[in-house]
Amino acid sequence: MKTEITDFKGNKRIKITGDIDMHTSPELREVLLSIIKKSKNQCVCVDFTDVTYIDSSGIATFVEGLKAIRASGSRLFFYGLPESIMEIFRFSRLDRVFEIFRTFEDAFGI
Amino acid sequence: MVKKSENKEYIRPLERKVEALRILTEVSSIISSTLDIRELMSLVMEKAKEILSADACSILIYNKKTNKLEFEVAICGEESTSEMLKEKITLDMGQGIAGWVAQNQQILVIKDVKKDKRFFHDVDKMTGFETKSLIAAPLIGRRGLIGVAEIINPQKEDYDLEILSILTKHFATAIENAIYHSESLERERIKQELEIAATLQKSFLPENPIFEKGKIKVFAINIPARHVGGDLYDFVEPVRGKVGVFIGDVSGKGVSAALYMAKIISDFRYIARGINSPSEVMGKLNKVLSGAPRGMFLTAIYLIIDVGNGESVISVAGHPPCILINKDGIKVLEMQTGPPLGIIETDFKENKISLRSGDRLIMLTDGVFEAKNISGERIGFNAILEFIGENQNIENLSEKIIGHINEYSKNTEMADDITIVEIKIR
Repeated sequence: MKTEITDFKGNKRIKITGDIDMHTSPELREVLLSIIKKSKNQCVCVDFTDVTYIDSSGIATFVEGLKAIRASGSRLFFYGLPESIMEIFRFSRLDRVFEIFRTFEDAFGI
Repeated sequence: MVKKSENKEYIRPLERKVEALRILTEVSSIISSTLDIRELMSLVMEKAKEILSADACSILIYNKKTNKLEFEVAICGEESTSEMLKEKITLDMGQGIAGWVAQNQQILVIKDVKKDKRFFHDVDKMTGFETKSLIAAPLIGRRGLIGVAEIINPQKEDYDLEILSILTKHFATAIENAIYHSESLERERIKQELEIAATLQKSFLPENPIFEKGKIKVFAINIPARHVGGDLYDFVEPVRGKVGVFIGDVSGKGVSAALYMAKIISDFRYIARGINSPSEVMGKLNKVLSGAPRGMFLTAIYLIIDVGNGESVISVAGHPPCILINKDGIKVLEMQTGPPLGIIETDFKENKISLRSGDRLIMLTDGVFEAKNISGERIGFNAILEFIGENQNIENLSEKIIGHINEYSKNTEMADDITIVEIKIR
């Protein structure tokens, strides 16, 4: 798994490439929580376009991120989920927990 | 006749060889005397210090993760100096004499450190020790660089560099063997701990995987992926004439998931007592689990069935659907489902289903359909459904499914815990 962080109009974009599983989620946790810690009234958006797999430990990392971000007044949302990943979110009703958009433009309304 | 001086010339190198062999034998016997890595390093370095009449000696171990050298053993007059070295000093590869030796993997003999630009003065400044000369040797094992051994201010100068080099190799192998030994002891300890944890965890699940009440028979199979796991199931009698069947899957794997699973089973048993509504139990459990550490959550199904008439009420929290087998064939039950427990505040819906005589209801965790084959391909929910369809009339269906998964995942490590709970109406 690889993560790449870029800025977009004062917001943070995290692009993830590869599998998010119990081996890689500790690294993702470190990246995600450090961004969330620094964020204030910002959007932290995660680009799932090149995510190949996510297991429950990966989802738990995002759940932790979501709980943490609520306290900071910022928003966490996802976009570009491949169908196989979307199916995992739908299957476990996590599509109701996270804000999920089709594209980056949809998420920002641009 | 041989002159006295010629005799001396002849005997001197021989004496040196005998002395060198004596040292070699002595150090070799120390090296093979212990498998305790710290004791081994200290004993050998003490001996080296004594043989070479040195003021001090040290071992710096190479830390692969940081790519730095760290003081592991430092034998000098003051204990506080050696503690200071261990706590405060690390060297980059190439930094100082030890860093140079580590990088170039060559023995280095320096008669006067003042004349050598590679010498790192900060250590002396910090400790107040004065290094005049030194011998630094790389310790290289089968797995590569282990570290660097340094002898500081050796008084004896007529040592044999070849013997020193042989001793260093021998010493490096001994350190490596001690590392292997301690790693294997540690592995064995962890294995034992996990075996105890697995037994303890099993004790949280119902003692008997078969539960019978009236016309209802419930049967469960649970196989953790790595000794301990995060899947759980339970059978309870919440109120008279009703049986509650619970299945769940904690996010993550291993010991943390297992500990959390144990807590959840206890919470569930406490909450479920006396409540005839699965959604109410799920709601209460959701609240209890909302403070879960590290975003941990639980996907679960709780079903309460009437022992008399088979009328059932089910609540689902982000868990894979149930599969119903009846006289019309098999079908995946479409149900109103809430998110997994422990994430957000929400109300859980109830779904009603009538189970008749001969019906079977299968509940499973995602480990069943996420099993991987040797090429890393997952078996998938549809393939499991198809298999159940083909074998729906078989008595021991759950065991058959496990057999099918084992066959599919042959020669691979089990990726996730597997749990199947089957409810049968006689």
